[in-house]
Amino acid sequence: MSAVALLLLTPLVAGFVSLGLRRADALHGVNLTAMLVLAGAQAATMMRVVQHGGFRAYHDLVAVDALSAYVLLIITGIGFTCSLYTRSYFEHYRAQGTISPVRMSRYFFLFHMFMFTMILATLANSLGILWVAIEATTLATTFLVNFFKRKASLEAGWKYLILCSVGIALALFGTVLMYLSSVRALGDVSGALNVTELLQAADQLDPHAVKVAFIFILIGYGTKIGLVPMHTWVPEAYSEAPAPVSAMLAGVLETVALYAVLRSKTVVDAVVSPGYAGNLLIFFGLLSFGVAACFILIQRDVKRLFAYSSIEHMGIAIIGFGIGGAVGTFGALFHLLNHALAKSLAFFAAGNVHIRFGTREIGNVRGLLKAQPITALALLTAGVALVAMPPTAMFLSEVSVMTALATHVSGGETFHLGRFLTITIADEARNMGLVSLFLVLAVVVFGGFMYRILGMVWGDPPAEIQQREPWSLAHAPFVVSMGALVALGFFIPESVGELMTVAVKILTAR
Amino acid sequence: MGVIRPDIASQMVDLCAALLLLTCFAIVAQRRLSACVDLFALQSAFLAVTAALMAFLTGIHHIFIAALLTVIIKVIIIPRILKKVIKRLNVTRELVLNINIPPSLLICGALVILAFYITQPIISLGFLLTKDSLAISLAIVLIGFFTMIARKKAVTQVVGFLVMENGLFLGATAAAYGMPLIVELGVFFDVLVAGLIIGIFTHRLQDTFDSVDTSKLTELKE
Repeated sequence: MSAVALLLLTPLVAGFVSLGLRRADALHGVNLTAMLVLAGAQAATMMRVVQHGGFRAYHDLVAVDALSAYVLLIITGIGFTCSLYTRSYFEHYRAQGTISPVRMSRYFFLFHMFMFTMILATLANSLGILWVAIEATTLATTFLVNFFKRKASLEAGWKYLILCSVGIALALFGTVLMYLSSVRALGDVSGALNVTELLQAADQLDPHAVKVAFIFILIGYGTKIGLVPMHTWVPEAYSEAPAPVSAMLAGVLETVALYAVLRSKTVVDAVVSPGYAGNLLIFFGLLSFGVAACFILIQRDVKRLFAYSSIEHMGIAIIGFGIGGAVGTFGALFHLLNHALAKSLAFFAAGNVHIRFGTREIGNVRGLLKAQPITALALLTAGVALVAMPPTAMFLSEVSVMTALATHVSGGETFHLGRFLTITIADEARNMGLVSLFLVLAVVVFGGFMYRILGMVWGDPPAEIQQREPWSLAHAPFVVSMGALVALGFFIPESVGELMTVAVKILTAR
Repeated sequence: MGVIRPDIASQMVDLCAALLLLTCFAIVAQRRLSACVDLFALQSAFLAVTAALMAFLTGIHHIFIAALLTVIIKVIIIPRILKKVIKRLNVTRELVLNINIPPSLLICGALVILAFYITQPIISLGFLLTKDSLAISLAIVLIGFFTMIARKKAVTQVVGFLVMENGLFLGATAAAYGMPLIVELGVFFDVLVAGLIIGIFTHRLQDTFDSVDTSKLTELKE
């Protein structure tokens, strides 16, 4: 069986098998096995792409290139650490008796469907199937978000479902417009929405239609990425979902939604000048960065804090992609991987803290270093990474994006005010302004974020809290994520580096 | 297309699209929940007729499949689910709206003008047969969107969402003669599952909040 078939079938089979199982051990076993198989299939796909370049399969329905293999790496990697964490997380709730066996099996069914839809989105060649898969991620995760069936989680689930469905509907309109322009050029063929075909016929596509289409696509998938001002569901859903689900939503789903925008952007860049899509991305990126930085300052709930930090980091990544060029695109791609690692680690730690302290209020958590030393270390590492400090890899990627911003060349911005007054801003002046803004915002995030994290880590824990955390297998995902975050700051494995280099070429083809 | 003269064919498609738009206004003007669902079913029926007409006029047969699926899913199954939900909840009318009906209708009129304005530069791109459909489909999408904002009950918000879907489907069928079949099947599947999930969700809202008034969802605030 080919690796691609394995990637698609494993989560489907695992999902339906889980539906029939009731014993927790069996469910976790199936889950871990599925994740191992996926990791293996991903490695095989990655090797094939590195050695022989991208390939297509199943009548061009599937197209894999370096970019999709890279996103697959993030999906399967974080999926694996999440599965490791899920075991210890649910063990607590199962011992408490809050979760019945039936609900456990439903949880795993939905979790595997979630994995399946994300993998389908990355493998699909057609923009239409990509849309179907991304809409399906919303449907698969709605009941995961309100898994605990509390009042607040029900509200979060409803907002998530409605906002994302509406956003995604707008993306479908964009896709229809894209199809409209390509069907004129290519005729009514089944491949008229395939990215590969669209790129080949780029000079025949209508620029007007493609421009309007991209706006709809960006707003649509932007809702899913959590770009400001379509971000309101993000803190709600991330704070109410179980910790492993929050980790997947924040680390992986956002990346996949961004992947959808990037795929469309390659087509748009081939049709109109690259500055068009790029400037839109930079605008939304800076807006998200700025608004999220302000909201980080006033958060009292640890998971909401991480949610706003997700919005912030997606903003940074989008700025990088918007600037384009080798440095910006590389920085942004690398940032996606680092963010997925750091944010999943942060949510794992938040889950442990919630289990021990029984609260998500930052003010009520004190002395984590004494109560849960390993979790505290994980939280500190994630915090240091999320404010982009060395020695973590986040530092490298954020500095790359900033460097790209500083050297961005667009030939000067020209504004027309009325008929006679025209203002031209030189690149240098604009870049200075943007970089200063970027730095100020980064400092705001640094202060706000570290203040909260350190407040939780230091001090003395309340007397009633148990002060012990023996090493166990449950800490495996923490060690893996922490290790990867720091190690990536020093060296990137050769095959991953190669993958990123080729992905950068794909994204900056013009 | 030989059977019918092109100009008549084009006008028939326009008529169908206009009927779709008209049902949108009827939904906006309707307070009774079950009537809203009926109107949505009627609109979906018009959509199916439009799709069948397109399939007949252009000879592209896979649009027939889409028309058939529209009838099954959007005219029969989803309205049934919604009717069941309404029956179980003890709400039949929406008494308080975020935006009252007369101003709502005026805003919808403005949205139609906006839709024609946005699509002006790309309208020449469409096929001759369906030149105005793209603008109408965008208008329906915008009105559906507006309905979701203007109404408070979960059920009417869902109807607004489904109206948006109808508009999108009209755009795909009329302006581009349907998307590739596999994409269309996927979209139908998503809509069906979304309908089911929203149905279950509305039940849970009713059980937990004792209401399907979404303005009571105020647990989570900044």
